[in-house]
Amino acid sequence: MIQIQFFSLIRMLLKQDAAEIPWEAGDTVQSVLEKTQAKIVTPFLHKLLDEQGEPHTGTIIMVNRKNILHLQGLQTPVADKDVLAFFPPGAGG
Amino acid sequence: MVTDRYARQVLHWGAEKQKIIEESSLLIAGVGGLGATVSQLLVRAGIGRLFLVDDGRLDWPDLNRQTLYGENDVGRAKLPLAKERLNQINSATEIVEMQGRIDESFQVPKAIDGVADCLDNYQSRFALYNGLATGTYFVHGGLDGDHGQLLTLVAGESQAFGTIFAGAVQPQGSIPVTPDNVVIIAGLMANELFSVLWKTPKLLNRCLVISLADFHISFLDV
Repeated sequence: MIQIQFFSLIRMLLKQDAAEIPWEAGDTVQSVLEKTQAKIVTPFLHKLLDEQGEPHTGTIIMVNRKNILHLQGLQTPVADKDVLAFFPPGAGG
Repeated sequence: MVTDRYARQVLHWGAEKQKIIEESSLLIAGVGGLGATVSQLLVRAGIGRLFLVDDGRLDWPDLNRQTLYGENDVGRAKLPLAKERLNQINSATEIVEMQGRIDESFQVPKAIDGVADCLDNYQSRFALYNGLATGTYFVHGGLDGDHGQLLTLVAGESQAFGTIFAGAVQPQGSIPVTPDNVVIIAGLMANELFSVLWKTPKLLNRCLVISLADFHISFLDV
């Protein structure tokens, strides 16, 4: 299983802080995102991806504590038991 | 100095931890929403020395949450005001003013025990973190409306702040901030800063994410 964690506004939008998605060989962040959206009724991909389908600036996507912008972006491979986190941080101070 | 001014907190954390606070130095980056309250709490606790950095002037929209200032201060530079107010609260704390904006040229003072990131933009946060000496504690705070986060990193040992927050961009326009939410996040930052001074940080490489809309708390390991 792949562990999904939702934080802050994404958690509020989905009214849940976690989800589990069965792992399949060849999974990437993008495929896991699509499977997660299929499982969750509330539309949320538009909060994470822009119109071109690229990660939306302002929402950090992490795989096992690593920001996917330092990995292979949405094509980052995802292994069984990996943890994906979606976190839109607050910028103010 | 009045000998019993710290009596109530020493009852809680003890004389040894109080002594550490009084012998410590911290850099407060920004004396706006978060920084005004963080610095005030540290000074009330008897911190030995605070370096304050800011380049702003007080404006009317600041007054809802920037707890060191009042109406008569509008238009004045925040840094000398902060020093004046903090000195009034506790003259035992040495306040060092560092006027200016934090960018890549900013020189982080040596001999500090940690940094409080009370900034309001990522560009300055990234620059500040990049300028830290290895081993320096960095306590980050940030918020937007009902949502906020805190995180403690150690420069050179943790993932860099800019690595973790890559892709985080500054929203267009003003960020919604209320008096209560800012003070809550600032209070938690002060709490973590004390723990940092005692070498027992609770949020090292662990981001505390708070939603005040429903009092939900969660942790994101980084």
